[in-house]
Amino acid sequence: MNVRLETVGKVAVVILEGRLDFATAEGFQKQLELVLAGIGSVPPAVVIDCAALQYISSAGLRVLLVAAKAAQRARIAFCLCSLTAAVRDVLDVSGFSRIVTVYADRGVALAQVPQG
Amino acid sequence: MSAVLRPLQLFNLRLHHLAEQLLEPQGRYAAGFENLIVGLIVFSVASIGVEAMPQVPQWLLTVLRVAEVVVVAVFSFEYLLRIVAAPKKLAFIVSFQGVVDLLAIAPFFLIGLDARWLRALRLLRLLRLLKLQTHFLEHTVAERTRELAQKNAALLAAQAQLKAEIDLARAMQIAILPAGFPDRPGCEAAACMIPATTMGGDFYDFMELPGGEIGLVMADVSGHGVPAAFFMAVARTNLRELAPHCPDPGTCLNRTNEVLCTQNPMDLFVTVFYCMLNTHTGLLRYANAGHNPPYLRRADGSVHALDGAGGLVLGAMADSRFETHSLQLLPGDRVVLFTDGVTEAFNSTDEAYGVERLIAEVKAYDSGAASGLIDRIRNSVTRFAGDAPQSDDIALSVLTWRDS
Repeated sequence: MNVRLETVGKVAVVILEGRLDFATAEGFQKQLELVLAGIGSVPPAVVIDCAALQYISSAGLRVLLVAAKAAQRARIAFCLCSLTAAVRDVLDVSGFSRIVTVYADRGVALAQVPQG
Repeated sequence: MSAVLRPLQLFNLRLHHLAEQLLEPQGRYAAGFENLIVGLIVFSVASIGVEAMPQVPQWLLTVLRVAEVVVVAVFSFEYLLRIVAAPKKLAFIVSFQGVVDLLAIAPFFLIGLDARWLRALRLLRLLRLLKLQTHFLEHTVAERTRELAQKNAALLAAQAQLKAEIDLARAMQIAILPAGFPDRPGCEAAACMIPATTMGGDFYDFMELPGGEIGLVMADVSGHGVPAAFFMAVARTNLRELAPHCPDPGTCLNRTNEVLCTQNPMDLFVTVFYCMLNTHTGLLRYANAGHNPPYLRRADGSVHALDGAGGLVLGAMADSRFETHSLQLLPGDRVVLFTDGVTEAFNSTDEAYGVERLIAEVKAYDSGAASGLIDRIRNSVTRFAGDAPQSDDIALSVLTWRDS
């Protein structure tokens, strides 16, 4: 899996490509921790862009859950956007779409999240 | 091979034997020989200093020169022996130690005992100090190699023990799953669990509940390894303990979730499908905490997923609430419960088994024991995956309702 970080204004956008499974979950968790800790300043919001995420396993869901909880504690808005059908399915079945905000695409997400 | 060794071969053999005894770290005389060489190096370097002093008595010079012959003889012997012992002779000769050993004796052979006209060259003998260094270096390397070998062996032993313990834990994990479904006239069920190579967290369970109901569980803990296995044991124990005291599946999952959220330092979670079957009436009540919805196959061959999916997984949020859904089973109905290890079994081209293949197998199995459908699905998944390793646990359970 490939993880890229972009910042739009102060908002951190994390772009995922590939498969988020047991093998890649731990590395992604560390990267997300760094993003939430903020480089220089803590971001007001973190958007996880899943447009190129092909697969997510339960280990991957766990990382999202841990990050969502950490973000809530730190008062950082945390959301996902641009889910593929396969990933959407997993989030729906596991009930995660109930507790994590999901936007249709990055544009909508960036328009909705707090900017600073 | 000739049975009788020729004299040259015999000599060669003896020479190698001698080299082994003197040079190899475990050789019989290695320590003594090493001390002899180091002693001679120190002595010879000291004697070079003494020789250089003014007004050294003639008798002492004579003694030192005789000693020098002995020293060079021993060093030359050692040098030749090392060449004999070296598996790659040229590599030894051009190695640091090989060059130093040669330089330590070269001045003697080049200029003899008394070439005063090349006095400066005699100072080359001071290079013997380097020889001292190679000896200590060699000693240190041998020591480190031995230490490393010991540590390696200890590590291998520890690894083997760890693997044995994990294998044992996995065996126990499977052994605690119920072997059979409670014996009731109107229904029949079977289940299986095929663990992946690491310790996983899939499990199923059958429980006899007060009032003649039977509880069925199909569950999958997030992640792999020992933490997942522990969380599986915690989840299963809590479910088993709470189930007999809960009037419906939704309440049971509510309470189990509350308890799990207080015992979850690693933020693990478990997806659970839990149902209670009234074995007198065929009424199936169920609740779903983030688990793949089971499939219902009607006697007419139609297959559909049970609704009511989408509840949050257990262990994530303490205030999650779960609804109870009901389904009246009809004679010949089958319910197929499974974990995502089935639908997400990948083949060598990274294609997933998927729900369509599973539905096709369920549809095609018309009549027969519940265990027969389990075997059929297992075989189908195995055929599909081919050589690809099983990356996730696979758990399957089939419930058949005959008649009340």
